[in-house]
Amino acid sequence: MANIKRAKTEPVIVLRDLKKRFGIGDAEHYAINGIDLTIRKGEFIAIMGPSGCGKTTLLNILGLLDSKIEGEYDLEDRPVASLSAGRQARIRSQQIGFIFQSFNLVSRLNVIDNVALPLVYKGTTRLNREKQASAILHNFHLGEREYYMPYQLSGGQTQRVAIARALVNNPSIILADEPTGNLDSQSSHIIMEELSDLHKRGNTIIMVTHNPRLTTYASRVITMLDGKIDTDTAAPNRKKDTEDKKPLGKTPKKRRKTKAKEAQEEVSL
Amino acid sequence: MRFLFINHIQNAKQSLRSNRMRSNLTMLGITIGVASITTILALSGGASKIVSNQVDALGGNIAVIRPGAQTETTLQDLSQFPAPQHFAASTLTINDVNTVKVIDHVSAVAPMMVLSGAVKADSGSSVNTAIVASTPALEETGNLKVQDGQFLDDKLSPYTAVIGPQLSVDVFGTENSIGKTVTIKGQLFTIIGVLKRQNNPINYNGVDFDESVIISQAAGQALNQGSLQIQQIDVQSDTVGNLNQAIVDINKAILKNHTGEADFSVLSGDQIAQPTNRLFAAIAGTTTAIAAISLLVGGIGIMNIMLVSVAERTREIGIRKALGASNQDIVTQFLIESLALSIGGGIGGYVIGYLVAFGISSFLPFFPVFTWEIGLVAIGVSLFIGTLFGIYPAIRASRKDPIDALRQYD
Repeated sequence: MANIKRAKTEPVIVLRDLKKRFGIGDAEHYAINGIDLTIRKGEFIAIMGPSGCGKTTLLNILGLLDSKIEGEYDLEDRPVASLSAGRQARIRSQQIGFIFQSFNLVSRLNVIDNVALPLVYKGTTRLNREKQASAILHNFHLGEREYYMPYQLSGGQTQRVAIARALVNNPSIILADEPTGNLDSQSSHIIMEELSDLHKRGNTIIMVTHNPRLTTYASRVITMLDGKIDTDTAAPNRKKDTEDKKPLGKTPKKRRKTKAKEAQEEVSL
Repeated sequence: MRFLFINHIQNAKQSLRSNRMRSNLTMLGITIGVASITTILALSGGASKIVSNQVDALGGNIAVIRPGAQTETTLQDLSQFPAPQHFAASTLTINDVNTVKVIDHVSAVAPMMVLSGAVKADSGSSVNTAIVASTPALEETGNLKVQDGQFLDDKLSPYTAVIGPQLSVDVFGTENSIGKTVTIKGQLFTIIGVLKRQNNPINYNGVDFDESVIISQAAGQALNQGSLQIQQIDVQSDTVGNLNQAIVDINKAILKNHTGEADFSVLSGDQIAQPTNRLFAAIAGTTTAIAAISLLVGGIGIMNIMLVSVAERTREIGIRKALGASNQDIVTQFLIESLALSIGGGIGGYVIGYLVAFGISSFLPFFPVFTWEIGLVAIGVSLFIGTLFGIYPAIRASRKDPIDALRQYD
């Protein structure tokens, strides 16, 4: 399998006993409670898990947005703790593309300016910024919406703009928090094809999702539970067969239903 | 090379435009402050320039000797504007005048004694004005021109007078007053000449010649209970280059006359204008202090609006940081925005300040002065205010934690 071949590439992200604590004293709570994880270059990872299990927190830490952590986080062999704030900003600007759960477009900027925003901090000239932003918007079938304001777009369009923005500076690591959470299946397909295309070009993609169907695009699926890694398809000591896993959360019925749907989908594909 | 700077400016433009009313009101604070400073500087500059311009117009070869040592600015000095001491006994004597007359390179010497009193015509209308007692040389040293008749002449009776055109109109109702008589302090004088209109109320002689009457020194002495009070001696040198040498010689000669007591001062060029300048500097200083208060208030307005703006855009700051903006980028972004406000207000204030200055100058005998210094002060002050009051909100913005910032929904 292709993903096994890729598993031998150099590690991009190494986490050792990563912990993230919220609150102090009585209210102390570990959102992430000891994660050891190695992510290699070119992997497409889907992180699943119930709400509140620390997926988004993990993604924020990986994206260098949250630096108040315990444990070790090495990004490309360099401990993140040793990087200055300015250096971290440059890494975010040049290496990381962030797709947020809640779009996070700047409401007073139009679509093309929003998409061009990461290029601003990369130091691209205005003309080149607009060219690149326009090109990527055309890829996402948003060419005619360039000068719309974010509030004039539908949910799906907004999400596509947000994704276009994350991809515009060709980041080597793409962090996606529910990238298709607000999209219909047609739009989801476009987005996932784009992500999988990026994956084929050697980019590392880490995606948080609730939708098990999307894990078919991933080369590795990680499930999280209560701030810890529950299952990992790449881990040799774990059973790869999902049937033996204990069900996630407390809604086995619903899960069975989605699994049934998934089976249907696979048949139809 | 990063092109962030241009982007920040575009960004600031856009952000300020989206809150047009708010931005304009904030700018107004700075506009008012800078406008008042510009008006004050332009007018006081114009006023002090008028005197030095006259000295220059005469070829720069004029020096004046005034009684009393040159002192530092005190409020007392300011109250003496524009004429020298009217009541104190002058330390200058006719002996000094005669000494100066024989010094090398001195081409003309005119002692001046200014009395104040009523000038009455036969018809009975009486005007209180300045009565200048001097010698025929005043025509040259004071750059006076006679439009009708002649200037004072030693050969004529001492009870002849040259009248300013405006005074002539005030007293006789016409500028053609040659041969008419006026009564000054009970003494009849015959008008032998009418001066050409000068429109120079502020000059180094401290007298508005348009509105005064000039009589001979002897007559002046007689009118002043026989005592001669020389308040100023105008000295003209033969060439500009020789003026400095002449001043040195004059200093030495009078010092000798006064037995080593330096109770006089010889002034030239800009020094002559100094008392006037000092007065305006003091007025300008006081009003500038008031303007500074309005600038301070304007600056606080900027800080206030920037803090609001930062709070409103917390989420945007989070997004920008997540997309790779460093703390410095955020500081620059908000600082440029506050600078745009203050400089916009500053430029507006500069323009409005000059409009006001020209408006006011239509009631004044001089025009506001245009110098690059005033523009520099206007821009400098706005830059300073923008930075001073913009830096704190900008730093506050940059210190926001991206995760917390992203969590804030707008």
